[in-house]
Amino acid sequence: MPDVHDDGEGALGRAFDRRLVGRLWGAARAHHRLIYGSLLLFPLIAALELAQPYLLKVAIDEHILRGDWAGLTRVAGVYVVVLAALYALRMAEAYLMHVTGQRVMHDLRATLFAHVVRLDARFFDRTPVGRLMTRVLYDAEAVSDAFTSGLSAIVADVVTLAGVVAIMLWMDWHLALVTFSIVPVLAVAAGYFRLRARDAYRTVRRRLARLNGFLQESLQGMAVVQLFAREAHERERFHELNASYRRALFGSTIFEATLYSSVEAIGAIAVALLLWYGGAQIAAGTLTFGALVAFLQYTNRFFLPIRDLGAKYTVMQAAMASAERIFELLDERPAITSPAVAPRGGETTSVTFDRVWFAYDTRARFWRDDTWVLRECSFEVAPGEHVAIVGATGEGKSTCARLLNRSYDVSRGRVLVGGLDVREWDLERLRRHVGLIFQDTVLFTGSVEANLRLGATADGHGPSRLGDGGAVDAATLERAVRMANASTFIEALPGRFDAPLSERGANISYGQRQLLAIARALVYNPAILVLDEATSSVDPESEALIQDAMKRLLAGRTTITIAHRLATVHGADRILVLHRGRVHEAGTHADLVRHGGLYARLWELQTSR
Amino acid sequence: MRYCARYRRRYLAGYACLLTGTTLSLTIPWTIKQAIESLERDAATAALGTFVAAIVALAIFNGLARLGSRFAIIGAAQRVEFDVRNDLYASMQGFSPATIAERGTGELMTRASSDVSAVKQLVGFGGLSLVSTTFAYGGAIAAMLAVDPWLTLWAMSPYPVLILLAKRFNAAVHDRTEAQQEQLGVVSSVVQEHIAGISVVRAYAMERRAEAVFDAANAEFLRRSLALGRVEAQFSPLMSLIAGVGILVVLWAGGRAVLEGRITLGALVAFNGYLAYLAWPTLALGWTLSIVRRGLTSMGRIQELLTRTPPPPAPAETVPGTPDIRFEGLTFAYGERAPVLRDVSFEVRSGETVAIVGPTGSGKSTLGHLLARLWEPPPGTVFLGGRDVRALDRGTLRASIGFVPQEAFLFSRSILENVTLGRDDVPAEIARQAADASGIAAEVDEFPQGFATVVGERGLTVSGGQRQRLALARALAGGPSVLVLDDVFASVDAAKEEEIVANLAREVAGRTVLLMTHRLRAARAASRVIVLVEGRIVEQGAHDELLRAGGVYARLWRIQQLEEEIARA
Repeated sequence: MPDVHDDGEGALGRAFDRRLVGRLWGAARAHHRLIYGSLLLFPLIAALELAQPYLLKVAIDEHILRGDWAGLTRVAGVYVVVLAALYALRMAEAYLMHVTGQRVMHDLRATLFAHVVRLDARFFDRTPVGRLMTRVLYDAEAVSDAFTSGLSAIVADVVTLAGVVAIMLWMDWHLALVTFSIVPVLAVAAGYFRLRARDAYRTVRRRLARLNGFLQESLQGMAVVQLFAREAHERERFHELNASYRRALFGSTIFEATLYSSVEAIGAIAVALLLWYGGAQIAAGTLTFGALVAFLQYTNRFFLPIRDLGAKYTVMQAAMASAERIFELLDERPAITSPAVAPRGGETTSVTFDRVWFAYDTRARFWRDDTWVLRECSFEVAPGEHVAIVGATGEGKSTCARLLNRSYDVSRGRVLVGGLDVREWDLERLRRHVGLIFQDTVLFTGSVEANLRLGATADGHGPSRLGDGGAVDAATLERAVRMANASTFIEALPGRFDAPLSERGANISYGQRQLLAIARALVYNPAILVLDEATSSVDPESEALIQDAMKRLLAGRTTITIAHRLATVHGADRILVLHRGRVHEAGTHADLVRHGGLYARLWELQTSR
Repeated sequence: MRYCARYRRRYLAGYACLLTGTTLSLTIPWTIKQAIESLERDAATAALGTFVAAIVALAIFNGLARLGSRFAIIGAAQRVEFDVRNDLYASMQGFSPATIAERGTGELMTRASSDVSAVKQLVGFGGLSLVSTTFAYGGAIAAMLAVDPWLTLWAMSPYPVLILLAKRFNAAVHDRTEAQQEQLGVVSSVVQEHIAGISVVRAYAMERRAEAVFDAANAEFLRRSLALGRVEAQFSPLMSLIAGVGILVVLWAGGRAVLEGRITLGALVAFNGYLAYLAWPTLALGWTLSIVRRGLTSMGRIQELLTRTPPPPAPAETVPGTPDIRFEGLTFAYGERAPVLRDVSFEVRSGETVAIVGPTGSGKSTLGHLLARLWEPPPGTVFLGGRDVRALDRGTLRASIGFVPQEAFLFSRSILENVTLGRDDVPAEIARQAADASGIAAEVDEFPQGFATVVGERGLTVSGGQRQRLALARALAGGPSVLVLDDVFASVDAAKEEEIVANLAREVAGRTVLLMTHRLRAARAASRVIVLVEGRIVEQGAHDELLRAGGVYARLWRIQQLEEEIARA
């Protein structure tokens, strides 16, 4: 999976970290039986594997060299049984490992996704989308590799190695020690190259992340590049990043390949030593041919796991690094959560901002006011009232909406919904109570209907019973779509409600996307509706129809409209003008125009030409 | 595989090294055979030292040869990866934004990363181990034949079965791998859009719903992975079974031959050595084949994206003078869908400003997309400076047009870079002037590092209105003779709009301007207004003419007037 935005965190730690392994073990809790099952198979497999050279020795020493044909056939018979058992066990083991790895990955991904969607807005402000994608897709896979081919293979190898060492010592400890004498050389070579390879690999990951990050952004901004004919320029930048990645990759290859080749060479040298010493022993009559042949085979099996240990070590390192990042993400606690005990009540639909201070920058200081978006902002919206919030760009109008559904918490002061501080509300209940329609319409891949239903329940309020697809009947959908003036274009879509929408709804127009978003909010049917410039890009004709439909719909419903264009807020009972972080003026349109303040100036600007 | 051909010398050198290494390592069992035979003949006088020295020398040279082969082949594979990724990127640059949206960013990313690296594996490790397996088999069989043809026949008897199984396995793995990869794309898209749309997820309290969607995709991925695993789990045990049966047969039949004195014990040991030598490549065959399979699947997926046509070259020159724009009998549909434009014909004369107004989805934006060839118009329908845009070099065409799209996009780079886009003909002062004209310069100066402030995911977050004005500055900075503004004032308030329009009036002078808007006030400044409804031109003319005509435009105008009057009351 693409590894995006990983700069500086591609660091690879140790292949084993007790704390991490412990947590991973916990995360795989549901699959412990699978893991135990496959662990049980390893010693059996190792024993059967190691029996083969021994059978060879027996065949040579006791039957072939003694001319015992019947005995040889018996040994062959045992060999057949060993092979058949090995086949069955290996298949079981391979499948068990695969199942374990895949289930662990499945669970990790599910846990991560469920965790991430519940984190607060500030977290997403400081975390790039690409990084989260990497966690859920790439890192989860790297961890599952630890179960499929890392940890289990290392256990298998260790069991095999121990078996080989034991059986060699048992057969002839002199000869065994001769073989082992090469181990220190091996350890030094392996240790050195492994370390260097690790450093190189770290660079590789960092550069790959940078490359993928660039690519992702390129794809998103391709239209700009094309329109300004900057393809060549962008390509050059891409080639540079790509080349620096390739260089790093080759650097890591040098060490990997050297390690691999030297282990193989050392293995062959061990065989030579064995022949040299063992030959002399045969000459002296203290060693049999069969034993020498068996030793030659055991030596092979001794070096094979050591050679591959390198590759597995890399898998484990990558897995540990990924696990660390995954747990770091899972340890991220949402700063905004439901209170432990959420009092009931708050069913009324009044909204109060009580001396609210807010800054996106959490380091904002009270004596330095340029970072404050809201400063001592107070206003009230009575149940059933329709209030419009207007003001120049960047005056914190949208911020009010975000504080209302607790995307962010106030720095100081209180926001009350139904007389209850939003921080005392159960979050989900609050968000079903207060519905938002956004400036940037977000649609999801799926049918028109799925996009309309999103999080809807039958009554629109109360705790979600979702997961069941929502209890909205077809008639409600039709009605909402009609009211949002979206039925005309939906009827024209192939398959109507079943018509598929592509990523970000790119296959319908911008205005149509907004109509859908409005219909969606109507389906959601919240007690308090917050419209955040939802109609800024709809043509006057549809807008007029929407306003009309809204008027009927909003009767009796508390509504807050956040708008740039003053013409869209004329239906409001009251207009609040935000300026320098607080309510500068409030009143009806007529009052405000008469008052001759800020609003009157804005109005004049918009109508004078 | 024209990519590999580029590095044929590296590959040849690598495979020559591999062949040498294989020969050297196959000589080791033969040397052991000689050693054991000499021990058998007369243990006391056997010249063991010579054999031992020979093995050590063989081992060292074999190590060097293998090292060389890996450097050459893996290095070449990494170059191929580099080239393929570059070409893929170049191809993606030719995709229209709609194509990118349709395919999904996640999906395209997967192709450029997972698939490209699968291809690297194919032409690197995959090829290496496939060829090395072939060499190993060829060499080992030849060596065994030299020792004893009859026993070779016995030893090789299980292998035809292996070939048959490998074939069946290959097909099964291919299908299942493809199914799994496809689902990975789906999972990736689900994550991407829910995280990108997290504010909606939050506002609609749809976390559980999102989870359900993800779980479904995730579960399907698990199902497909396990289907793949079931096949893969069979293969490697089968391979080692077959290798084991080979050894068994040699032990039994070869043992009898030794027993009857037809071959030496040394020969039997050598046979065992050769079969053991084959055990690893045989075992790895499943892994090798799956790399090859995955690589070929990925290659197919990449090839599908690699366009034949070379990417557009850098802008050579612009269309001379102030060109006019002409649409002639233009009917256009996105793919298979219903036409969004029907028989549209009109002209924007050189230096004229024409506004396109019309309800949502009437095809306003499409006109701009076709003019800039973000989508390819039908031949003979769209003209710039009297020439069919399709006949113009894309670079030239786009260098002549300053296009400001509805949804402004900023890169995670500095503001300055976002405005200049690295254009040599846009120095910092010009960028500043453009920012000034777009009414954003003063705000930028207040950013932490001014024009050097990095924006985007890792930098400063800028508002929608600021984004749009930066996009406008970006277009103005190029000093284009044609300006296309696609509803750029949508997220700007009245005061800002006033300011920008006042500034723009200066900029617009002497340029051909196509202005798409739903704000009729903005359209009033145009010398002519074209009213589009459902892709057809229903009215055109000056603002006053249209008002007098009392058609759609007049109705739209009246609605806006009414709104204001109601509000004023």
